[in-house]
Amino acid sequence: MKRPNGIRAFPLTAIAAALAAACGPALAADGDLNELIKPVSTVEFGLGYVDSDNQRFGQYSGLNEQGAYGLLGLDLIRRNDATGTWFRLNGRNLGLDSRELRFEHNRQGNWGYFIEYGQTPRHNPYTIITRLGGVGTSLQTINATPAPYRLDLSTERETFKLGFDKWLPRGFDFQVRFHNEEKDGARQWGQGTNNNIRFLTDPINQTTRQLEVLVGFTGQRLQLSGGYYGTDFTNNNTALNVVGGIAGQTPMALPPGNQSHQFNLAGGFQFTPTTRGTFKVAQGRLTQNEAFIVPAVLSGRGDLGGRIDTTLVQMGLTARPLQKLSLLANVRHEDRHDRTPIAQYNTPGGTQNGFNEPRSFRTTTGKVEAGYALPAGFRVLGGVEYEEKFRSIAPVRVVSHRDQTQEMSYRAELRRSMSETVTGAIAYIHSDRNGSPFFTTLTNAGALGSNLIAPLHLADRERDKIRLSVNWQPIDPLSLQFFADKAKDRYDSRDATANLGPRSGKGDLYSFDAGYSFSEKLQANAWYTYNDNRAVQASRSGTDWIADLRNRGNAFGLGMNVKPLARLEVGADLSHSDIVDKYGQAPVTVLAVGNLPDVTTRLTTLKLFARYAVQKNAGVRVNYIYDRYTTNDWTWSNWAYSDGTRVIEQPNQKVHFIGASYYYRWQ
Amino acid sequence: MRHRDSGFGGVARWMALALALSVAGIAAAQEPAKAPRKDLVLKGDAVCTRCHGPEDDPKLFEIGKTKHGTVADGRTPTCTSCHGVSDTHVNRPAGVKERPKPERVFNRKSTTPPEVQNQACLACHQGGKRIHWGGSAHATRDTTCVSCHQVHTAHDKVRDKVTQPEVCFACHKEQRAQVNRPSRHPIREGKVACSDCHNPHGSAGPSLLVRDGVNDTCYACHMEKRGPFVRTHQPVQENCAICHNPHGTTTPNLLRQRPPFLCQQCHEPTGHRGQIGRIAVPGVAGPFGTGTAGTVARGCANCHTNIHGTNNPSDLTGERTFRR
Repeated sequence: MKRPNGIRAFPLTAIAAALAAACGPALAADGDLNELIKPVSTVEFGLGYVDSDNQRFGQYSGLNEQGAYGLLGLDLIRRNDATGTWFRLNGRNLGLDSRELRFEHNRQGNWGYFIEYGQTPRHNPYTIITRLGGVGTSLQTINATPAPYRLDLSTERETFKLGFDKWLPRGFDFQVRFHNEEKDGARQWGQGTNNNIRFLTDPINQTTRQLEVLVGFTGQRLQLSGGYYGTDFTNNNTALNVVGGIAGQTPMALPPGNQSHQFNLAGGFQFTPTTRGTFKVAQGRLTQNEAFIVPAVLSGRGDLGGRIDTTLVQMGLTARPLQKLSLLANVRHEDRHDRTPIAQYNTPGGTQNGFNEPRSFRTTTGKVEAGYALPAGFRVLGGVEYEEKFRSIAPVRVVSHRDQTQEMSYRAELRRSMSETVTGAIAYIHSDRNGSPFFTTLTNAGALGSNLIAPLHLADRERDKIRLSVNWQPIDPLSLQFFADKAKDRYDSRDATANLGPRSGKGDLYSFDAGYSFSEKLQANAWYTYNDNRAVQASRSGTDWIADLRNRGNAFGLGMNVKPLARLEVGADLSHSDIVDKYGQAPVTVLAVGNLPDVTTRLTTLKLFARYAVQKNAGVRVNYIYDRYTTNDWTWSNWAYSDGTRVIEQPNQKVHFIGASYYYRWQ
Repeated sequence: MRHRDSGFGGVARWMALALALSVAGIAAAQEPAKAPRKDLVLKGDAVCTRCHGPEDDPKLFEIGKTKHGTVADGRTPTCTSCHGVSDTHVNRPAGVKERPKPERVFNRKSTTPPEVQNQACLACHQGGKRIHWGGSAHATRDTTCVSCHQVHTAHDKVRDKVTQPEVCFACHKEQRAQVNRPSRHPIREGKVACSDCHNPHGSAGPSLLVRDGVNDTCYACHMEKRGPFVRTHQPVQENCAICHNPHGTTTPNLLRQRPPFLCQQCHEPTGHRGQIGRIAVPGVAGPFGTGTAGTVARGCANCHTNIHGTNNPSDLTGERTFRR
């Protein structure tokens, strides 16, 4: 209530009455105020129904089968205002396979801990008809069953997290995070050679553990955070043995267990109110010494003895030497030194010398940037960034390689961030990548190998990018946004005459967003995004040919939120994507080259909800979702494995979901 | 004015006054005489809530439901901690028609410089995951804390995995389109959020990643790809993003391109490697040539199954080809 600054004179009796009256209304105001400032607990339960089995809609939510599902969510919050102690129990999707539950207890500013459990299913989006036996185990048999059967594969991640925080005196704090994940199930896999391709499943029974211990200091000028990060990966299946598989391709190795340990320290220091330095140093070691699944006869080793040492050093400085001038400098050096022992595992021949190939990388990045504030809220920025990368190299290779690349990027940007109506930015970035000469690829015998392709991530490349963003609020309830992003890449081939490998790339993105707030009770929004990504590359198969690969998408969305009555709220959200992949196979010379059909994918999702408050703190909600996925993807069409297994994707999937729930809130 | 304190009317009047005062005195015993205005939510908020009361701005009071509204914690700020002391806003100077705004305003139309707005938050939240804020991509692009965070609400959208992506998509439109592609992380289901891979407050890694590099970030959930292996695949060890786009793709397994095109971006066109893409033709049964087998089904990975690397040391044939 806005009170006048002046003081009025009242008759005494009026003052008395007002004083007496003041007691009553004050109590009522406290009650209303508590509703606004006290945490609210919520529980919601109900039932949902999916009208059909599906492969995409329920892929990660567990709503992949026709039928009824229990809906349960809760957010129980208790705060002791006297001590600042919180209890919180938060649960989502408790009736589904994608459930999450988190319990948190903390005395704010003093200590805290949490326990969290979560499940993430992943249902394979294809149906498999097969005779494979032993699915999901480490012993599988081709054509084991007398007749084909339907196989639906899935994996599930079960996550358990523990955390503890303690705030210590003088700005110190201590934090522990432990994360354990069990991943089980099976995914599509296989083996093949010389047109003999068998269907298999990758048996997954894995445990991933992460432990992070951090000690921090937060002072007025100095902040530090350092500690330990350790991980462990365990695979309970080390090999897949295949009965009836391809000769010489059993057993197949499954991912070996590995471990890592890292010590790190990061910090920031405020030299002056406008000058700050940051840094991070980290030292780590990764090891893999899982026993080989078959004897490594030539090397005589029982395991790889894999070891990679990592070092990171980063330093940055930001400053504002003048009111309008800001500067930034950053340098980062990362060394990944693969110290895995080199041993001869194979009889040399052809394009390999039989030794394993450790992969070391050393990356140094430096950046300087300056910004200057102009009138009317504008700012101009300019910057230069440099990246140099060294890679280890094996003496005999089958793929072109160079051990050093360097890339220089220049950036110019004009930005307006402070305005009541229009803000935005326009930026231009130019990057130039080149490097050391490519090594000549030789066979093991020293003969010349193929030296035609400059790999995508190593090739000399020129890149130009323009970015534009505009935010405009022409009138108070209407906000408009426009984004445009255009990028172009040009690659140099290793052999200018043949001109094979990546040639060019292009990426266009345009996006338009609008939001209108008609009133407090009615808001609407709409958006549209167009993208066109293109990559042109050439190869040779008797004749030279190119692929003009293109991914073009149109997506739009509409949303609305309405409160037609005080107790009723309804909302709608529609999104649609239409994506086309083109392959543009064409000959470089006159010889004909067949093309691949375009693949068109469409996804439409319509969500409707209505919430009715039966009473102030309780009500009912109804949700409806319509989800449609259509595709003419030919990836699995007309394909059969050599063992007869077929994989089917439903090209047209329509799902209706309806759910009704009751919610109750209290303080 | 002279009080008429004689006669029945005068006595009655004084008795009424005495009664009212005694009742008020009981209530007043619960608060000191001539008490200052009462804080409603935060310590010292009375100077603001005398005008911005629950009747006028009820939504502002939701801060009381959050950590910022837990006054038992001695660190809890008050209104002026973030919005500034704002003397001229509280006490409109004489002769000034329009009341000046507070020292720091945090809404969309604010003309408070971004670094000044952010300093309100950094005064307490400079440590831990925000150590690298200064000089980060968001900081240098004038992103304010309130561009993403909502302070005066119990439900800060960006801190909830389910609603976080829509906050990020306010600026990152390309990713908004990509998360709706058929091959994707479970972002739409709220199982993976942008902050699982990125630290928007700044990081020592590239692209604001939570770990020191791309691969280290991916390994947190995909540790089986880490190796090292007896047979290593160079781009796998260098950078997962050479082959994968983690935001979403139309090609299965989040690949940027489908085989054989993806692989032909690096591999020499010797033998079958330069094969033209071919589909399986209706009515034509397998076995299929490498042109078809390298395009449909799992593409090149139909044979080169352990494409991320294999720890199999066997010495049979084609050992570098990841087939076992």
